[in-house]
Amino acid sequence: MEIIEKIKKYKLTVEQTEIQKICLHKLQSSPLPNPKSELWRLSNKSKFSNFLDFSLNEKDLEFDTPYPNTSQSIIRLVIGENCQTKLIEEDYSIQQLSEEELDKYIKEQISYFDQNENWSNLLNLSLSCKKNILGLKIKGSKIPPIEIFSHASSKSLSAKTLVIFLEKNCNLELLQVNLGKQKSSLSQSTFFFLEENSSLNHGVVSYGKNGSNLLNSLNVIQKSNSAYNLGSLHFKFNYARFEINIKQSEGNAKTNIKSMQITKNDEQISTYTKIDFNGPNGFLDQINKSLADDKSHAIFEGSIIVPKIAQKTDASQLSRNLLLSDLAQIDTKPQLEIIADDVKCKHGATISQLNEEELFYMRTRGITLAEASKLQLSSYFQEIISFIPVSKDRWDLLDKLLNEN
Amino acid sequence: MQSKMKESDPILQVENLFASTDNLPILKGVSLTVYPGEIHAIMGRNGCGKSTLSKIIAGHPSYNITNGDLKFLGQNINSLEPEERAQSGIFLGFQYPIEIPGVSNLEFLRVSTNARRKFLNQEELDTFDFEELVKEKLELVKMDQAFLSRSVNQGFSGGEKKRNEILQMALLEPKIAILDETDSGLDIDALRIVASGIKKISNSRTGIILITHYQRLLDEIEPNFVHVMADGQIIKTGGSDLALELEKKGYEWTDNFVKET
Repeated sequence: MEIIEKIKKYKLTVEQTEIQKICLHKLQSSPLPNPKSELWRLSNKSKFSNFLDFSLNEKDLEFDTPYPNTSQSIIRLVIGENCQTKLIEEDYSIQQLSEEELDKYIKEQISYFDQNENWSNLLNLSLSCKKNILGLKIKGSKIPPIEIFSHASSKSLSAKTLVIFLEKNCNLELLQVNLGKQKSSLSQSTFFFLEENSSLNHGVVSYGKNGSNLLNSLNVIQKSNSAYNLGSLHFKFNYARFEINIKQSEGNAKTNIKSMQITKNDEQISTYTKIDFNGPNGFLDQINKSLADDKSHAIFEGSIIVPKIAQKTDASQLSRNLLLSDLAQIDTKPQLEIIADDVKCKHGATISQLNEEELFYMRTRGITLAEASKLQLSSYFQEIISFIPVSKDRWDLLDKLLNEN
Repeated sequence: MQSKMKESDPILQVENLFASTDNLPILKGVSLTVYPGEIHAIMGRNGCGKSTLSKIIAGHPSYNITNGDLKFLGQNINSLEPEERAQSGIFLGFQYPIEIPGVSNLEFLRVSTNARRKFLNQEELDTFDFEELVKEKLELVKMDQAFLSRSVNQGFSGGEKKRNEILQMALLEPKIAILDETDSGLDIDALRIVASGIKKISNSRTGIILITHYQRLLDEIEPNFVHVMADGQIIKTGGSDLALELEKKGYEWTDNFVKET
């Protein structure tokens, strides 16, 4: 019950919203994730406990890491800072959801929550105050790319929530950046609802600092003929957990995912994905890459659910992993649950080290071992980075990964 | 490792070299000296140690020198890293050039060339200057510029990979090039292109070691010396006639020679 006590203590000063009360009530029946559950079994207990060690901060201190300059064509939003968002142009409109709309949507989502599967969302919604929930309704065409930031402040726990409705025939490029500060915890929950014929190119870059922690939960509902493309990158967290739940609610939708997590020192970063096909002719192409060095631990668990209704599903899930040290650990478990009998589904996992023959070849051309390793790693990273939309060049992701991490 | 040697001094000296991998002896006392302007051919059955010798000269970390010395421009290089050997002017043309997905050929060639130029105290080339240089060298091996934008050797045919090796040799301007079965997998036209490239790059200040099974490459590039290897040793050395003799007699006699000795 310790976590509940902590949350209650956090809330003494501020009146709880109805959603917070509902989530807190649900958490009371499972105050901590069940450690025996497959979804939490490998989670490092002491690191997870460290996530909850900080006191809740609803008021962000100014973030002293400067965001890279934005170009005029990009819309930039910071959760917790942009209280009013209303952009109506000739071709498109971006409007903030009303409190009623947000409440209704979130309550509906909560009603489907499973305590173990959605524990991170329950925690997020029990902590996230109104100011830190950004809800947007986007429609139209020729929408400029959007960057949305969430960040944690040092020595505190921050909870941010993002809800986006993408209306029919709408195409959007969105980069979500989660920045961790030294010794901080960030709980980020994101909910997307993609209407028919809409398409979202979504990038998630989660970039921590020493001792920062992240619980990042992404929930996507896709209507028919929608396309959802995700490129994601998580690195430099003491403890990070990325949960992806995608539901193709009517089938006939496309999902592409290219995700990567990089761990060093004694970090633990995990990615859990659940792709649920709830109609026929669904498509999924997913690759998850993990790279683990030093004494770190990377985890990937992916499940693809294909019930009887999801005939003609075409799904592929691949887990590719690089183990760079004898003491590093990678756990990977891509899995399929197929009931439908007319589907094309495949999955696979590989774990390897840097290719020694490639390294030797480069060294015989005068390239040092360190440079050769960087070249190999950059090619490994490039596949994912090139899939992350919006301002990936300005963020110098490759440079960060090769030289800072 | 800068040379203060005279032009008539040997480029490479392999002195009674013994080497092993996983405690398995592969080279059992190889001696070979290459002077500037010389072309040496090493022939022998599969598994006789030819490719191993080339990898050991280039510094492959899987092989251990258990006895003997490798000297390049008069200095012992036994303990030098592969990149130090390459930067100082040793080039190994691979029998099976390695594919490196995701690494652009152009960038790979530029980084390699600049590593060698830095060693030679020459100015490093930026992308624009390097493109000029590489275009000129592409002519030597009749390669299209399109190869530069592709990943290193990925999706290249066997002949294209070998031409890419010679392109690298042309850019790095090594003091000595060891070409391991550069002729394997080439059709007659490609063989001529590769051979012509090698001839244009070599000069009176460089040395070349050709490792091959066949006379056909030696028809294009006439060696000064032909060495026959068997069981990790050079068992016979002669002129270009020796290669013709091998073509007629095959390698069976080398087995008998090893048994007798």
